Order: sequence, then C-alpha cells, then structure tokens
Amino acid sequence: MFNSFPYDEWGDSVAEFWTFFGGDKILWDQASLGTWIILALGFVAMLVSLVWFVKLENGKLESQAARLRATGALDRPPETVSITPTG
Amino acid sequence: MVSSLALLLAQSAEEQLKELQDKVALDSSILLEQFYFYTVVVMWLIHVGFMAYEAGAARRKNIMSTAMKNILTIAVVTPTFYYFGWYIYGCFEEGWPKSGHASPDAFEGYCGLTAPWSAGLGPNLADHASLVFFLAFLLFSWTTGSIMSGALIERVRLSAYLILTALLGSFVWIMDAAWGWSYGGWLTTRFGFHDSIASLVVHGVAGAFTLGVLLNLGPRIGKYDIKGRARSFRGHNTHMTLMGLMLIFTGFYGFYAACLLITSTSFPGWLNIYGSPTTLGTIAMVITVGFAGGFTGGWFASKGDPFWTLSGGLAGVISVSAGADMYHPMLAYLLSISGAFLAVWTGTYIEKKLRIDDAVGAVAVHGVCGFYGVFLVGIFAGGYPTGINNIPVSFGGQLMGMLAFLPLAFLPGYGAAWVLKKLNLLRVPPEVELEGLDLAEFGQDFYPEFERAPEVIVMPDGQAVEAAPVLLDAYWQTTAGSRS
Repeated sequence: MFNSFPYDEWGDSVAEFWTFFGGDKILWDQASLGTWIILALGFVAMLVSLVWFVKLENGKLESQAARLRATGALDRPPETVSITPTG
Repeated sequence: MVSSLALLLAQSAEEQLKELQDKVALDSSILLEQFYFYTVVVMWLIHVGFMAYEAGAARRKNIMSTAMKNILTIAVVTPTFYYFGWYIYGCFEEGWPKSGHASPDAFEGYCGLTAPWSAGLGPNLADHASLVFFLAFLLFSWTTGSIMSGALIERVRLSAYLILTALLGSFVWIMDAAWGWSYGGWLTTRFGFHDSIASLVVHGVAGAFTLGVLLNLGPRIGKYDIKGRARSFRGHNTHMTLMGLMLIFTGFYGFYAACLLITSTSFPGWLNIYGSPTTLGTIAMVITVGFAGGFTGGWFASKGDPFWTLSGGLAGVISVSAGADMYHPMLAYLLSISGAFLAVWTGTYIEKKLRIDDAVGAVAVHGVCGFYGVFLVGIFAGGYPTGINNIPVSFGGQLMGMLAFLPLAFLPGYGAAWVLKKLNLLRVPPEVELEGLDLAEFGQDFYPEFERAPEVIVMPDGQAVEAAPVLLDAYWQTTAGSRS
C-alpha cells in the first residue's frame, strides 16, 4: 500500500540531514551549526570570486595595454587622418 | 446503537474527506511546482537570446567578451541573490521588516522563509513552492543584468559589469519588486500600484540603472566626432542579433507565465502577482498582440530598419506588460504600436542629442518603455481593483511608483559606476578597446578560419568608411590629455 510509505519520516530525515530540518527552522538562532558552516563557506566563495574576477581581468588588460603601447603600433601622429570610402 | 453507528460512519466519511482534501492539496502544490519549473526552463531562452543579440551587435573583435558577460551574469547573480536578493523580496515589502521575520502583515512569516538559512531554501520534502518561486525570481534577476549588459558592450570591463549586475540583480530591482511587485508591497497595499508583468519593476528599473552607469562609462572610442555628431558601428552579425531577439521573445512567454500564480485548492483560478484574478490566456493574448503592434510600430518609426523593427517588438510588449492582465487585445495592439514609436524616437534622441552611447538602445527600449507602461495603466485602467486590499488603480498611484523607482534605480547605478570609474576599474584601457577586447581577455580571434575584413564605421553623413584611421584619430584625442 502506498499509504504505508513513510513519506513524512523520510522527509524529516532528508531535511535533517541537510541541517534545515523539516520546515520549522526559520529564525537565525534556530539554525544548526552545519547550516552556518555551509552558508559561511558559500558566502566566502562568493566574495572571493568577485574579487578574483576583478584582479584576474585587471592583470590581463593592463599587460595587454602595456604591450600595445610598447610596440608603438598606435603611435601615429593624429594630423594624418585619411578616410577611404568603401562604397 | 443506531446513533453510534451513524456517528462512526460520519467520522469515517469525515476522515475520508480530509484524506481526499490532503491529496488534492498535494497534487495542487506539485502542479504549481511543475508549472514554475517549466517557466524557468523557458526563461533560460531569454539569456540565450541576450547573448546572441549582443554578440551579434558587437564588432568581430569583441564577440566573446560580449557573450561572456551574459554567461557570467549567471555565475555572479545566483549566489548574491541567494544571500541577499530573495531575503530583500521577502522582508522589505513594507519598506523594511517592521515585525522582523514575522513580516509582512499580508503574508505572515514569509520574511523568515526567505532567509538564506531557512528551511524554504534547502532540500525540504514538505515545501513544493519556495524553491521554484526563488528560481523564477532569480531568472528575472538575470534578466535585469542582461538588459544592462548590451548597453555597455565593447568598452566596459567584464569584472565591472559583474559587480554592477550583482548590485542591480540582487539588491536594486528586487527592492523595487518588494515594494511594488508583491501583494504585501507598500505601493500595492496603499496606492494600488499596478505593474502586473513588470514593465517598470524589471525593465524600467534596469533601464534607469543602466543610464546611471552609461553616464560614467562614456561612449566607445570613435562613436562621436569632434562636433559631437554620432557615428555608427556595424555589428558583426545582424542576423545573429535578430535571432537573439526572437529567442528573447520566446523566453518572454515563460517570463509572462511566471508572473502568475495558480494553486487550485487555495484560489479558484489564476492570480497575478498582487493576488488579483486573471487568466493565462489574457496575458498570452496581450504579449502576442504586443509583439505584433511593436513590430508594426518599430518598422514604421525606423522606416524599415531591421534592428529597430525587432527592438520595437520588445518595446511594444514592455509598454503593455504592466496592464497585460486586464487589457483588451486591441487596446494592447494600439498601445504597443505607440510604445515602439516611443522607443525608436527616444533611442535616436539619446544617441544623437544626449550623446549617450547605448549600444543596443536598452535605455529607450527597456527604460523609457518600462516607465511608459505603468503610465499607460494609470490612464487606461484607472479604477481597476489591485491586490488583496482592492485598491483602485489610479494615475496618482502609478506616478507614486514611478517617483519611488526612478531614484532607487538610477542613483545606485550612477554611484557604483562612479566609484568604479574613480578606481580605474570601470573601463578597459583605450589601447585594448581599439585592438578589441577578445585578444586581451582571451588571446584569440573567435572566427579563426574567416578572413579578416577591414572594420567599417558609418559617418554622420551616412557614408561607410574604413574604421581604422577614424578610430586611431579618436584614440589620440582620447589619450591626448594623459600623454601630454
């Protein structure tokens, strides 16, 4: 019989395993230590990734800009601008 | 004896009835869960579309840096929305959580369920609603970021964009949504503010935020000549742009559907976000007719320009979204035509008169038409009862929403971009912009087997010329101050 399937008990077990437990743990002081550890680690990962995005890109952009300046490819006098129609 | 037997039978029938009710309620909640799951799947197409749309509008040298913004939007907004955005939506409906986690009055205890540590945001076999609601709103958050994304292409730093999109997607728009796009929001319960499919709350707010960013970011090198006249860059693949827009349109059906609520055991039918009755057919009709009107208006306003014709479709739908739960289809048709005209005209004005380089017209299409949409509701749907308090829609209430959301969206965008600019983290170095972002960011050209044709730029007089000397000249003007 499907009615004998212990869904509620299993539901509680699943929720408890993940430390949130059953739907009634709402206030911050009721959450378990495991919840806090997971949340803290996720929060740190989020912040680190944001900072890392900035640092990684900044390094790439600045080094490429320095390389371009060093080649002199863009060092042309501004007064010799010619415009070629392409049709 | 007989009375005892009758009592037993009655109790048995009552138990059976209760059991049946529980099963129907469970089916109903699982139906809701499935419904939102599929709206989320369809809404992914919006982001596929934005990626193709913007990458097609970019020049060949900036394709991947443009597309990567859309992809990494998902990487950044998802965790920030988990930690902040959903909590803001649940707890700031009344302006602030005045009763703590027991807030808001309209939905007691909802605030606590949106906290990152709550049972609502973890595996929970007893809750079929919280996570799919979260996901639907998360997809809306990605959308706000993608709306901004296109406007900034070809010169913004990827990392600067990601910080800005986290701010927009996980703080700014969701605060607006808590205030005016929830049935406990103070704009809803006090003023009858009505924006059922988020003309202003998503599109207008993202557009206003973007405007604040653009004012700090500045135009692409070579966009304006020395007299301030606008030149045009040629996107590398207009067909890809149009296909992207069509994908966005498809995803919009999921967006529209996700703005409604159905739990048949609690309510007799579909509800909008404010708890007012409507039907799925009503909004599906309005979005479809809105596209038809928008394409029509965009075509005529732009004299047949392909980009603006399809952007007109978007503008048309955004213009009627606020009232999509109650407009007659032919009213939506007329209003969406007017919205597309408005988008084309304001887009041209922003580019040529205000000299703001919005690469895809996002401020006009999303920002202006978003505000226009709630303005139209004040005119054409006055008196319509909104929300659980049945506050009639009024022009004053709509105006209150616009006045609240304009500074709430514009100022954070302007302020955050200003700070990034001062830190020299907003814009790529001019040398990199000139060469193209893809080589600096990824070290490669993303069409390696196709011959590279000279880049073309369209001058203010309409003449298409080779871009290199024009851009080099503009580069020298840009960097003259820093080199002298």
